[in-house]
Amino acid sequence: MRLLSLACAIALGLSPVAAYAATPQPTAKVPGSEAIVSKTLANGLKIVVWPDHDIPNANYYTFYKAGSRNEYPGITGLAHFFEHMMFNGTTKRAPGEFDKQMEANGGSNNASTSNDLTIYTDWFPSSALETIFDLEGDRMANLSFDPKVVESERGVVYSERRSSIDNDNFGTLMEQMQATAWTAHPYQFPTIGWPSDIEGWKADDLKKFFKTYYAPNNAVLVIAGDVEPAQVFALADKYLAPLQKQPAPSPVTTVEPEQQGERRLVVERADAQSPIVAYAFHSGIGAGSKEYPALELLTTILSQGDSSRLHQRLVEREQAAVQAGAFAEAGFDPGLLWVYAMLPPGGDMAKVETLLDDELAKVARDGVTGAELEKARNLKSSAFWRGMATINGKARALGTYEVFNGDYRKLFDAPAAYDAVSATDVQVLAKKILRIQNRTTGLLKPVAAAPVADKKEAAK
Amino acid sequence: MSFFRTIFIALIAAFAFNSAVAADIKLPEYQTVTLDNGATVLLMPRKDVPLIAANIAVRGGSLADAAGKEGTADLLGEMLSKGAGSRNALQFAQTVDGAGGSIGFGSAREAITANAQFLSKDSALMLSLLADALLRPTMQAAEFDKLRKRAIDGIANAKDSDPRQLIGTYSGGWLFRGHPYGRSAGGDETSLATISLADLQAFRQQQMGGDRLIIAIAGDFDAKAVTAQVKQAFGGWAKATGTLPQVDAKARESGRRVLLVDKPGATQTYFALANVGSKHGDPAEAAQDLVQTAFGGRFTSMLNTELRVKSGLTYGARSAIERPSQPGAAVITSFTKTETTKAAIDLALATLDRLHKDGLDATTIESAKRYVAGQYAPGLETAPQLAAQLVDMTLYGDSREVIDGYLGTIAGANAAQVAEALAVFPDSKDLAIVAIGDAAKIRDWMKAYGPLTEMKLTDPRFSP
Repeated sequence: MRLLSLACAIALGLSPVAAYAATPQPTAKVPGSEAIVSKTLANGLKIVVWPDHDIPNANYYTFYKAGSRNEYPGITGLAHFFEHMMFNGTTKRAPGEFDKQMEANGGSNNASTSNDLTIYTDWFPSSALETIFDLEGDRMANLSFDPKVVESERGVVYSERRSSIDNDNFGTLMEQMQATAWTAHPYQFPTIGWPSDIEGWKADDLKKFFKTYYAPNNAVLVIAGDVEPAQVFALADKYLAPLQKQPAPSPVTTVEPEQQGERRLVVERADAQSPIVAYAFHSGIGAGSKEYPALELLTTILSQGDSSRLHQRLVEREQAAVQAGAFAEAGFDPGLLWVYAMLPPGGDMAKVETLLDDELAKVARDGVTGAELEKARNLKSSAFWRGMATINGKARALGTYEVFNGDYRKLFDAPAAYDAVSATDVQVLAKKILRIQNRTTGLLKPVAAAPVADKKEAAK
Repeated sequence: MSFFRTIFIALIAAFAFNSAVAADIKLPEYQTVTLDNGATVLLMPRKDVPLIAANIAVRGGSLADAAGKEGTADLLGEMLSKGAGSRNALQFAQTVDGAGGSIGFGSAREAITANAQFLSKDSALMLSLLADALLRPTMQAAEFDKLRKRAIDGIANAKDSDPRQLIGTYSGGWLFRGHPYGRSAGGDETSLATISLADLQAFRQQQMGGDRLIIAIAGDFDAKAVTAQVKQAFGGWAKATGTLPQVDAKARESGRRVLLVDKPGATQTYFALANVGSKHGDPAEAAQDLVQTAFGGRFTSMLNTELRVKSGLTYGARSAIERPSQPGAAVITSFTKTETTKAAIDLALATLDRLHKDGLDATTIESAKRYVAGQYAPGLETAPQLAAQLVDMTLYGDSREVIDGYLGTIAGANAAQVAEALAVFPDSKDLAIVAIGDAAKIRDWMKAYGPLTEMKLTDPRFSP
């Protein structure tokens, strides 16, 4: 512990001999990672701190285990809407005060919602650390919902939806495919929410969501940067320890039944020039699964870099697509493996389907080469180190491993986990996942003219 | 899929580069070496993660594109890695990907650019790939044909995607109509179609060479070995035969003119309000950055407060100041559902009027100072960021004081300087206005803002 932190701890009226466990020597030797410490408060909030004094800044990441997976018809999009409302006032602070105070202290913030998680981030000069704790503790304890702000924020979220989904053809297609690929599991809901739900959810829905999911025992706090653990834990005791533990949220128990044949859908767009062909396969693998590294290597070999299989075949050799790619979703429950191709205007969708089918069948039939596997591992290794180059990447990686893998320390096993994957593992996965019976096929088709005269956007 | 609360994440990153922070934030030490052919080499070894980054600029860039052949420099940049040295395009890609590296080429207005990042153990490989690409590209016709077609088709793809990505291109083209700054660096469907491989070869001959080269290397590497390799790899590159493009300043415009870009069926209108603002090295830069922060550069900015927080008209409203060698654009952008197009544009104009009428109070200026200072350091954290900063400084002939002294200038900016800097944003009666939206529904509103010119989003260019 450095002198500064001792001085800090004393100033805060603390014993400098804090009770927390040191991290065992990690598998991947990241400089400074031996300084990571964690502590769980009595109310269940787990806190992980990575002191790193490279720049005089720090971040404050709160991961809530709540996302669109926790929704049901009528409240789709609520987790994301709620994310917006977390900035809109408490019983102590008027709407807008959170941002004003943070920015006046040199901090900025953002938040994101996915199927599985809602993540809040503050980036600030380390001198603002206590202000950040004050602001964060307040909104966790005292959030309030001003009816006027709720109505105004519906407009903000709908505007977000129009940009990312309604006026973006790939966004529109993916939303339809997601709704088709899942028949039972709540991964079928778009994170942004269906338009009629954006316009329809009630203040009571928000209050219930807050009480259920925004409990300290359903969150993980990660702080990386120019801080000392003793200082962080003292502030946590002051601002976060008083938060009440809540009953654990009901687990999501629905298991998607096995798909028994291809599902196909077409989205017609009058104003489009470029067709899109996309596949969504059930991967059967969640982010915390032992098979997840093999899944990542499979999509890397298919799609990362100009030498990847899909790019070489569809874009370079056949020139049937402008861009081709693949990625797998990372969540608590098994997600989708997406494969897509963006076509040139007038492009032949049937030909692209044939080419994609052929490339995917090849991986399943013949497997991958040793050189490809080595390439994918090197790409993963570089990505790992790029993440470790910033305090932001460090906090994000620690939090992701803590929520999905149950232990932030598993982050440092990641390079070894990729090394342990064999070419056979990748081929076995490809055979299991890349089957037509396990696939939803989505086509975005440019058409001549608008079929409907003047349709309304949503329910209202 | 993730949805972000704000669009400000990218904005902050961009902003942090233009500005500088906390009084003690300084560039780490680096060495500058000038090679005999005039190339500038900047080396910043830092022990952190086992990665090495290179950033390269070759002076000239898209401003040297022939009129009607916009996109030449950008296509050339991309062609450099489509076969170089002894490797064909596939082998080049396999070598980069195989090492887990990344290399990207393209062109900005004032330079052809390259970025690379590799694991430290592959520093020699990275340098040899960059040298092959810059000095020994094979420039094969088959690769060129593919690349050009893909560039053209990629624009059609972009026009089917979120219009937020395109509004800046249309706005720049409209404001700088007839001026070199109005050209899209990536070209458009029409200009790209006229470019030949011979055009690229001629451009390379005239506008690329050792005397134009700036290369910065940052990260975990052995300075001595890398210096020797850089000298060996780039020291023999001959000089460019052409002259650097010269651009005259465009004067700020008076009055308004409106471009309506029709996207039939669009449920949202995307708009930009722009005029000529500031240039690189503007002595008022720090004060202008404070105005930019308070007016449209952060979540609680005047624009975002009015258009998003208070009215719910949009997901985001912002402003930006770009500073090339000659004065660039100062611009306001936002978007709103088709029905509220007029309400949102009127509110943006009223907010601009309020900026000029009321100025910024002392509390707001102080908050902006702290914000700029607090957000500065993360823009200078990684090897790629630092390498890019070194190249940028060299390109514009700046000393390290531009970085090291910035936060001092921010802290020292007084109320009178900030008041004077408000003028970086135009008066609301002097604007080049662009709207992308459903023309049938918004045409009458747009006409009311000034003389209207109309085009379709699907027209094969970014200007009428």
